[in-house]
Amino acid sequence: MGIEINIPPFMQHIAGGVKTAEVEGKTVAECLAALAGQYPELKPRLFSPRGGLPRGLNLFINGESAFPGELSRPVKDGDRIHIAYVTVGG
Amino acid sequence: MKINTGRLLRVDLSTGRTAAEEIPQVFTEDFIGGRGYGIRYLYDENKPGVDPLGEENKLIMVTGPLAGNTAMAVSRWMTCTKSPLTGAWGRSVCGADFGAWLKFAGYEVIIIEGKAARPVYIHLTRDDCQVLDAGEIWGKDTRQAQEWLTGRHGSASRTACIGQAGENLVKYAAVVSGRRTAGRCGTGTVMGAKNLKAVTVTARRRLDLADPETYNRLAKEQVETIRNNPGFKSHKEWGTTSTQDITNGIGIFPVQNFRYGQLLDYQKISGEAYRKLRTGDMGCYSCAARCGKVHTVTSGVYAGAHSEGPEYESIWAFTGPIESASIEASIRADELCDDFGLDTISAGSSIGFAFELYEKGLLKKSDTDGLELTLGNHKAMVELVRKIAFREGIGNLLAEGTRRAAAAIGKGADIAAINIKGLELPAYEPRGAKSQGYNYATANIGASHCYGYAAQDIFGAPFPRPTDRFGEDYADVVIFNQNGTARNETGICCGFSGGWGWAPLFGKLLAAARGIDKFADEEYLKKVGERMWNLERAFNIREGFRRREDSVPKRMLTEPLHTREADGEGQMVRHQDAFLDSYYKLRGWTREGVPTTEKLKEIGLGFAAKDVAEQKIIK
Repeated sequence: MGIEINIPPFMQHIAGGVKTAEVEGKTVAECLAALAGQYPELKPRLFSPRGGLPRGLNLFINGESAFPGELSRPVKDGDRIHIAYVTVGG
Repeated sequence: MKINTGRLLRVDLSTGRTAAEEIPQVFTEDFIGGRGYGIRYLYDENKPGVDPLGEENKLIMVTGPLAGNTAMAVSRWMTCTKSPLTGAWGRSVCGADFGAWLKFAGYEVIIIEGKAARPVYIHLTRDDCQVLDAGEIWGKDTRQAQEWLTGRHGSASRTACIGQAGENLVKYAAVVSGRRTAGRCGTGTVMGAKNLKAVTVTARRRLDLADPETYNRLAKEQVETIRNNPGFKSHKEWGTTSTQDITNGIGIFPVQNFRYGQLLDYQKISGEAYRKLRTGDMGCYSCAARCGKVHTVTSGVYAGAHSEGPEYESIWAFTGPIESASIEASIRADELCDDFGLDTISAGSSIGFAFELYEKGLLKKSDTDGLELTLGNHKAMVELVRKIAFREGIGNLLAEGTRRAAAAIGKGADIAAINIKGLELPAYEPRGAKSQGYNYATANIGASHCYGYAAQDIFGAPFPRPTDRFGEDYADVVIFNQNGTARNETGICCGFSGGWGWAPLFGKLLAAARGIDKFADEEYLKKVGERMWNLERAFNIREGFRRREDSVPKRMLTEPLHTREADGEGQMVRHQDAFLDSYYKLRGWTREGVPTTEKLKEIGLGFAAKDVAEQKIIK
């Protein structure tokens, strides 16, 4: 059992329609890097050119917001990471 | 500490009399303010069955207890009334500065009643209110009217007004302030029916807070939290001018009147494409997001078009329904809607309706004054915006909204009338985001994306629990979104700010503003949200609304969605009855969608229980 990453609808088509992926990692950053390893086309959506999170991306660990300091947050086997935007309207 | 309930101004346009009133503390305790005040007063003051365009329909403008202060994203304001488009409770929300200015003048609620004998405007200061002659600005667009009023009353004035669409009683006329609109539900139509051109407030900043020291400390914390939040930074950069990248990507960008979920060549209308025409940013009072993106067209047939906007809904309204990829046309159409005072969503959707009927032969060139309503013909679309505002030719029919227009045309036109309770659907396809669709179906004002936005479906938000956007088993999530939005609109908070990390401060800010400690309790705020929702529902029940009106449009129940390259091909709404049964049960309502007496009493709405129990049907 590793860490489950939930891929939001607006990225699923980039990951071949996959909604969840299992990865290994000790931090959120390692998990996202592992996800990008599985689906390289996701990388620019997960990391900005400087290696941080792209603007607007929100991360949740087991349903709780991981902000601030999302990428360095520790995770363990059985944790669930959700990638999302959180916005309303338009 | 003295409780700060805010004050109410009553303006009788029939007599010209104005009077300030205190707001009862029980109203404040039970409904907090903003939209809560709006429904509390409209429920009491409107008799069931009034004509929305008649003298007896009240128009209520509200701002919130947090408006006009140093906190960010809390100075929105609303117009509340019985909607002429739907016949139901209507509320429309707006930004810019007007909400703060109402607070500076010392009011949180303005109740406008009666009808003026000739065009008038209201001029309001902290010490005075006058009903003045609007003869010189009747017939002017909203830009011209605001310029005239500022010229007359000075730069410390802000105005909310109607354009020609409101004067001509277009059923989805908007109220405009600056270049922002209270767009939905035809609240501008009600102003026009009252011969009311504008409300102008001349005032200077002044705080009205029960505990200013605590409030200012919390506001400082809120601003620091927001400024560092990545969601805020993204919103500051883009506003909502790139949401179509997401909705097209997942097949929920409605195209050809909700027959497709993705625009051909949608890359041509991407956020980056709009960014190339961006020439500035505008924002609301005391909000650093400045998410209003200004666009200017410098060449081509729309050279000179200049708009604060379009934002996502308006981008969609003037591309998707007619399958056009002309960014320039969308900017021009958005500008015209702001000038004339039109709801872009209902306008764009009504035009898409007309295009579909033309395609099917139910409308002919002889009906459309020679305009060819063929896919991609954006020039015809732009001309139709003008015709609608002035009720010219086919515009007169389309000005009634799709439900009435379809009824007038007959011959099966109703399948193309994409509305719920008469309110045209916004830019998220229900078959590809079903919790969003069920929000539309059950929202008290009709199809509103903002009344309970399903960020779970669209953006993957995992609270209260993640959803499958094709699933129909999330009544609890729909209710969570709806009650949460109601809670936020007591503030009145900008809906975009919900994800900016400051939610735990909201209740504390309310408590400091009002001097009522229980507002800092999140569980209490949830109850207020539920209470507001149920009173709005009770208002609608009195007007004859039932389960039959809580339905997605027929198209979603009978036709499969076509998503082109995106996921979701063939999706339909298949389990609406089961959803409604679950939704009503969770709400504590009967199978017909009527709040039970027990439920109403449980949440402090015993005064509404008698009305609802008697189920007075006035239709």
